[in-house]
This record gives sequence, structure tokens and C-alpha cells, in this order.
Amino acid sequence: MAAPLKERLMPKVVSPPPAIEVSTLTKAFYNSDADSVTLAVSDFSFSVARGEFVCIVGPSGCGKTTVLRILADLETKLSGEVTLHTDDAPAMVFQEASVLPWLTVAQNVALPLRLKSTPRAQQKTRVDEMLALTGLTSFANARPSQLSGGMRQRVSVARALADDRDILLMDEPFGALDEQTRLVLQQELLRIWEATRKTVVFITHSVDEALTLADRVLVMSPRPGTLVADLKVPFERPRDVVELRRDKRFWDLTYEVWNLLASPERA
Amino acid sequence: MNNTARPLTDEEMYRLKSPARRERLFRRASVFSPLLLLLLWEISSQLNLIDRRFFPAPSAITQTAWSMIVSLELFVHIGATLRRVGIGYAMGAIPGVILGLILGLSQTTRRLLGPIFAALYPVPKIAILPLILLIFGVGDMSKYVLISIGVFFLMFYNTLGGVMQAPQIYMDVAKNVGATRFQTFRHIALPAALPNIFTGLKLAAGSSYIIIAAAEFLGARSGVGFFIWASWQTFAVSRMFVGIVVISFMGYLTILLIEALERHFVPWAKQ
Repeated sequence: MAAPLKERLMPKVVSPPPAIEVSTLTKAFYNSDADSVTLAVSDFSFSVARGEFVCIVGPSGCGKTTVLRILADLETKLSGEVTLHTDDAPAMVFQEASVLPWLTVAQNVALPLRLKSTPRAQQKTRVDEMLALTGLTSFANARPSQLSGGMRQRVSVARALADDRDILLMDEPFGALDEQTRLVLQQELLRIWEATRKTVVFITHSVDEALTLADRVLVMSPRPGTLVADLKVPFERPRDVVELRRDKRFWDLTYEVWNLLASPERA
Repeated sequence: MNNTARPLTDEEMYRLKSPARRERLFRRASVFSPLLLLLLWEISSQLNLIDRRFFPAPSAITQTAWSMIVSLELFVHIGATLRRVGIGYAMGAIPGVILGLILGLSQTTRRLLGPIFAALYPVPKIAILPLILLIFGVGDMSKYVLISIGVFFLMFYNTLGGVMQAPQIYMDVAKNVGATRFQTFRHIALPAALPNIFTGLKLAAGSSYIIIAAAEFLGARSGVGFFIWASWQTFAVSRMFVGIVVISFMGYLTILLIEALERHFVPWAKQ
């Protein structure tokens, strides 16, 4: 159905300003021992609006983590444009156990504040807030080695939120967790996101997870990764991760994304 | 779910806590295991299973030691050796750790300076004693320098290994939370390398006493090493053994001290 003429002429006026703009991003790796070049990401373009939750799904090895690492400035791009409309660098929630074993839970969460020499009292208030938000209050003085994988990822999330940066990058944060813990943490993340309204780019290989969390899902092709589809996820918020599974649209979308992943040329 | 579980009985509590209790007992007992060796020696010597001229019984050695303690002679030597080891140890360990951290974090520095250390490391420390004596004289400075060289390499390589073994993700975290270069040093690389640094400290303590004993044999007028050598020259075997036992105990206690520090500063590492 055609949109009214007025809306077609000025569609940009109402949309919020983008927080992240990526255009024709290309990244390759060179192995000098074998003299071989691996093209990881090729001409990948997308943008994320301020306060939007975007998931990137793709088969393993498609370069989705590389894209995120470039956004976090942990990796350099080969060519293309990456623009972040924000004052501070994005905060990252990493894939594996990135929680520092020599610090307690509270000290891990306080790390970004401590390095910025935030006054002690202010640090404590903020850390207590973050621990409460992530359900870690009673583990404040525990060491990471005493925590389960799920608890450790909560610490990682709390640490990324501690210094209140605009953009949150999440690199398969729940990838190593069991199904149940995953579901609980997804629900928690939705709640936290409702409360903070950060701009989020979330990497996952789970279609299910992407549809549960995101406003928009970007589907990537196998390596070299590029954009195959940009799908809107229509579910109302706040969402309930269990109730979502009764929604027929959820399964229709799941089917659609799986189709794209199974044969990207169909897009 | 049953949330009103019955409390554990005393007997269950006892069984639950017994592994921890055993662990505590073993930790205390481990301090005494070298004493068992002494006991075996005493018995063998008393029963003439070993030659008493070369291996006097620990009780005879203890008598000699007692007279040396009463005359305070022993403490003069212990003091001299401890001072040399302590100062030399610090002179070697501090730059060793700092350079290990720098080379561990910076690939460029590692490429430039690494080969120099690799070339110097295999030089036997005792072999350069004459050179050190020539440069620094027969005083204490030559001992400090010799020990610091031995300690330096052990600390350097252990720290370097510790930083390089640290998961890359810790460095990514450092960068993402906005750590400066110095903060990455202080808050990431140093704690990540700390378990290896303590391994280095223990190895270095052992080799410090080896080096000081040899150095005092030849170029000193005091110290436990000098005392052992002087006793040998007068064939005072019992006194010689006092020296050997004393220097061994000094090494042993030093390592116990470092292990206590390790438990305090590296509580996250498995014992």
C-alpha cells in the first residue's frame, strides 16, 4: 500500500537522528605466513537510530564480531565510513569471561569510574545502582571465580553501564550460557534497556534471541559478510520473553530469517 | 519448590566441613615436613649408618650452633648475608618486573630489546664474579650487583611470560573502559602477571642464596657463605654444617614469607 504523498516526500523529518552510521565498511585480514588475504566484511552499510535496539545475526565467521570491534575501535577498518554521533566511546559487553578475576564484583563494575578518577562516594552510589539493576547486590564482594557464567555476564553488563555511555555494544554476551539462564538474562536486558534507553548493537547467532530483543534485525551473509536484509521487529514493548513465543508473528519472522540465513541469494 | 528446608544436623555439618578442616591441618603440617628429614639424619648418625666425621648428628650440630648463638657470632654472619641478599634482591626484582611489564605490553620494545636480554641471560652468574669484583671491588656492592643480576633475569622472564599469557580480552577491556597506558600497566598487566611474578620471586629467592653463598666463599670477610668456607678450611665440620643448615633455613623461611605474601596479594589464584 502506498503511503500518503506528504510522508513519502519528507520521511526523514520525523525519524530520530542516527547514533551510528556505517557505509560500505570493508575489512580484510592478511596472513603473512601463508601470504593469504581473508575478506571478512565487504561493503556493509547500516545505521542505528538513537535509542534503538539493533541485532545483527549471521552464520559464524561472517564477520559480525569484526564489525562490532571496529565500532568499538578495537580493530581498524580497511575502508568505508564509520560515524558515531556521540561524545563518548561506545561501551562493550564482551563475548567470553571478560570479568577481571583479581577484582571483586563491585570493583569490576567500578573499574571504568575508577580509571576516570570519579570521586569515591559517587563511585559507590553508581556501583550500588548498577548492582541493584543487574541483581548482583548480594554478590558485591564475591570474586568472579565464585560466580556462575550467567552471574559473570551480569557483571560484564553492569560494568558496561557503569559510566553511562550512550552506545552499548554487545558481542554475543549470552552465547556461552544455557537456555534457561539465557532467557532470564534476555528478560533482564529488556528491562534494563527500557530503563536506560541506550542505543544498542547486539551481535548474536541466535535468530530467536535477535527477534526477542531487537527493534530491527540485520541479517548478514556468510563470509565475506554483507547486509542481506534489514527487518523490522513489530512486537510491542515492554516484551515478555515467554509470552512472545505465543505470537504467530514471532514464528513467521523466525521462518523468514531462517530462510535468509539458509540461502542468502533469495533476499 | 520447597523453601522451608530442614536445617542441617550437627553430624551433616561436621562432614560438610571436614575437607576444609583437613586442608588447614595439612597447611600447618607442611611447615614441619623438613623436620622429619632431620630426625631421620639424627637416627642414622646415632646408629652409625653414616660416617660421623662427615655427617655429625644434628644434635651435635645443634650444640655447636647454640654456642655460636650465645656468642652472637652467628647473628653477625646471618645479618651480613641477609643484608646482601635483601638489597641485591630488591635491586634486581624491581627493574625486572618493570621491564617485564614494558616488554610484555609493547611489541616494539620487545622486538628491539628482547634479543639483548636473551643473549645475556645464559651467562653463568658465578662466572662473572671476577669481573664484578674487578669493577665493584671486594666490598658489599659487588655482592648486591651479582645477586641483582641473577634475580633480574628470573623476574624479567616470569613477568614477561605473565603479561603475554594474559588473555587478550583483558587488554580489550582496558581499552574499552578508557584506560591510559599507565593505567593498563597498573590495573591490568600487573595484576594479570602477579601469579607469575610470585613464581619468579620464589625462584629468585632460591637462586639468591646460591649466588650469595658462592660469592661469600671467595670475596668476603663475613656472611654465612664465608663462615662455611672458613670452617671447611679449618676442618670444623660441625661448624660447617651449622652454616649449611642456617643458610638453608634462611632460604626456606624466605620462601615461606613469599608464599604468605602470595596468599595475601593473589587471593584469586589457586594454591
